[in-house]
Amino acid sequence: MKISGVINKITSYSLKELFTTFILLLFLVFANPLSAEEKSIILGEKDFTEGYILAEIAKQLLEKNGFKVRQKHGAGTNIVRKSLEYGEIDLYYEYTGTAYAVFYKQEDLSIMSDSNKLYRWIREKDKEKNLIWLDPLKFNNSYILLMKRKKAEEMNITTISEMSTILKKDSKALSIGLNPEFKERPDGFKSLMKVYGFYIPYKNLKTMDAGITYLALTEDKIDVAMGYATDGRIRHYGLTALLDDKEFFPVYNPSPVIRKEVLDNYPEVEKFLKVLTEKLTLKDIKLLNYYVDIEHKNIVSVCIKWMKENGLL
Amino acid sequence: MDIIQYYLSNTSHIYQLTIEHLYIVSVSTVIAILIGLPAGILITKNEFIASKVINIANVAMTIPSIALFGFMLPFLAPFNLGLGKVPAIAALVIYSQLPIISNTYTAIKNVDPHIIDAGRGLGLSELRLFTNIKLPMSAPIILAGIRTAVIMNIGIASIAAYIGAGGLGVLIKVGIERVYTEMIITGALMVSLISLLIDWFMGGIEFLSTSKGLKVASRLRK
Amino acid sequence: MKSFFSRIYLFLVLTAAVITGIFLEQSGLIRYISDPYEFRYITGLLLQHIRLVAISITFATTVGIIVGVIFTRKTFKKYSFIIMYIVGLGQTIPTLAILALSLIILGVGERPAILALFICSILPIARNTLAGINSISPGIIDSACGSGLSPMRVLFEIELPNASEVIINGFRIALIINISTAALGALIGAGGLGELIFGGISLMQTEKILAGAIPTAILALTGDFICRLSRSFIVPKGIKIKS
Repeated sequence: MKISGVINKITSYSLKELFTTFILLLFLVFANPLSAEEKSIILGEKDFTEGYILAEIAKQLLEKNGFKVRQKHGAGTNIVRKSLEYGEIDLYYEYTGTAYAVFYKQEDLSIMSDSNKLYRWIREKDKEKNLIWLDPLKFNNSYILLMKRKKAEEMNITTISEMSTILKKDSKALSIGLNPEFKERPDGFKSLMKVYGFYIPYKNLKTMDAGITYLALTEDKIDVAMGYATDGRIRHYGLTALLDDKEFFPVYNPSPVIRKEVLDNYPEVEKFLKVLTEKLTLKDIKLLNYYVDIEHKNIVSVCIKWMKENGLL
Repeated sequence: MDIIQYYLSNTSHIYQLTIEHLYIVSVSTVIAILIGLPAGILITKNEFIASKVINIANVAMTIPSIALFGFMLPFLAPFNLGLGKVPAIAALVIYSQLPIISNTYTAIKNVDPHIIDAGRGLGLSELRLFTNIKLPMSAPIILAGIRTAVIMNIGIASIAAYIGAGGLGVLIKVGIERVYTEMIITGALMVSLISLLIDWFMGGIEFLSTSKGLKVASRLRK
Repeated sequence: MKSFFSRIYLFLVLTAAVITGIFLEQSGLIRYISDPYEFRYITGLLLQHIRLVAISITFATTVGIIVGVIFTRKTFKKYSFIIMYIVGLGQTIPTLAILALSLIILGVGERPAILALFICSILPIARNTLAGINSISPGIIDSACGSGLSPMRVLFEIELPNASEVIINGFRIALIINISTAALGALIGAGGLGELIFGGISLMQTEKILAGAIPTAILALTGDFICRLSRSFIVPKGIKIKS
């Protein structure tokens, strides 16, 4: 391999020739010949099963109606939100409660527990940021605290207040598994402890990926696990959810959030996604979650099957 | 076997992730070479700067990869580059600097001074000395450094899945989320496979780049 | 000439320090760690992290050196190439995957993390032990055997000390990889500073990322430094003069 030979050859060209070649190369690399008539949307998603499912269904709906959809990979809540705000993605499904508590850091109980009021509040606020909230879905995918049914019955715990009473007497009585996001969020565990008035030492707050809290619970490595209300694993593993009697958690209705300029370009998107409000029920989403999480079915085929069964495809 | 079944029913997804992974690794390697190679060459001029630069590159490597990825996010978000591949590529470029700069520096410094003397005696100019003697003779070691950087990048790029960059790390990440063994194993195997293939490929390039003289010399030495 | 560069360097370092200080303050890191509850939390995570590293690296060093030594013994020498190749393959598997697989095998918690870290740290140590011992000029070993030393004594008094520099280097590399990978342990319930990093990432809170990343980096640098320092104690004088 004659490196010196190559270098000799390069230096034999004039500066002007080299420069133009370089510019042409750059052009080739970065020029993006997209036809002007192609409707395209960039979709984002949150990084857990339901987030992937909602994004996949939206993708199928949009593609069926002639859109070219580019899907970005799932990431944590704030990352996806920021990329929406900065215009890196055009649309993703966010939860009303999450936006209220995390992005706007609000705590008004009267708004938080009312699904409609919450939605309207968020829609007004995000309009100012040129982000439009389209029709929300009707189910509430709240954070929940789970315990093994037997253990909950033994300890006589059905509500979070009852759990906190036990912990107030002995803060080391129970250990809990949660993910870093839930621990630190304003609507997360640290704030929950404050509202319910108990304190678990950090040694008993075991942090792990959200998906494996169930695993840890079934292995008895933790007593209480964080979970999602629509998760299919709750029934599968014989777990029970503790009642949020102080209504600490807001309502979490998922809704597509789209950038205003994208909606102005393609106002029909609203209509296309609206069908889900009626069709995607709590029962449906629980089933879809179950297929993916427990039966390990392929997300795309699960979504397509559901859509075909409901006349959407 | 379940893994094979998983692979067969998700081939296109796996293929897409593999392409993404290769994309991230290749872009970051190219940029890292464009920065590291000249840097390594320049610092041979000055011992002091050399030791400081190599020290800094060393420190960069002690930062855990997930931390560097995480750090790039708020850094790049305002520039509309926050999600995904760009922060991952930026972090990987930083990581690759040490092997590339360090090997380039060592290789050029360690060219046999007698040969350089002979070259000067022949009347070669400083530039010619560099391109015709120093560079070809240090090529194998420089390529070894690049090879280390590439293999390292392939491994670390799996972690980039946690900042939305995609790549085969997604299989591992989602596999953990769903406790889906076959998915995790597929992700691990694919990354290993790519690592091995590229390692062999680069080994071949290293061999080809060693000018005949050096090969004979090393054989004689043995 | 040198003093000119050193002056510029000093200037650059000071400017970098000032910028870093301002940046750290702006990102809210100072505010974050001055909260006493958070500070205890960070210290707790740091101790957890050190615990994970210490346990796994101790096992890895013991097993690594033993494996390295075994494959330099005459009876096993012919397998050494193959074994090292296979162990080398292990290093192509991303650390994240090894962690995930340990999760599958051992469940959630500290133990799978320690197993995964053990696997990641073994290779550099084993490989360097092997290479170090193999690179000792056979003449030395010959004269040791000739002097009537038993094989055990040859190993401990000749081979290992001669290879110590290379072995320590392998340990150093393993330690740095270990400290870095331990940060991923947070994903499977092992705790450690990774908790702060991951939490900071999904919430885009720079101060948490920094609060996790900086101690980890300092830990790694300290480990690196101690390794380089211990060279002067462990490596016998004769070899140092040679290099």
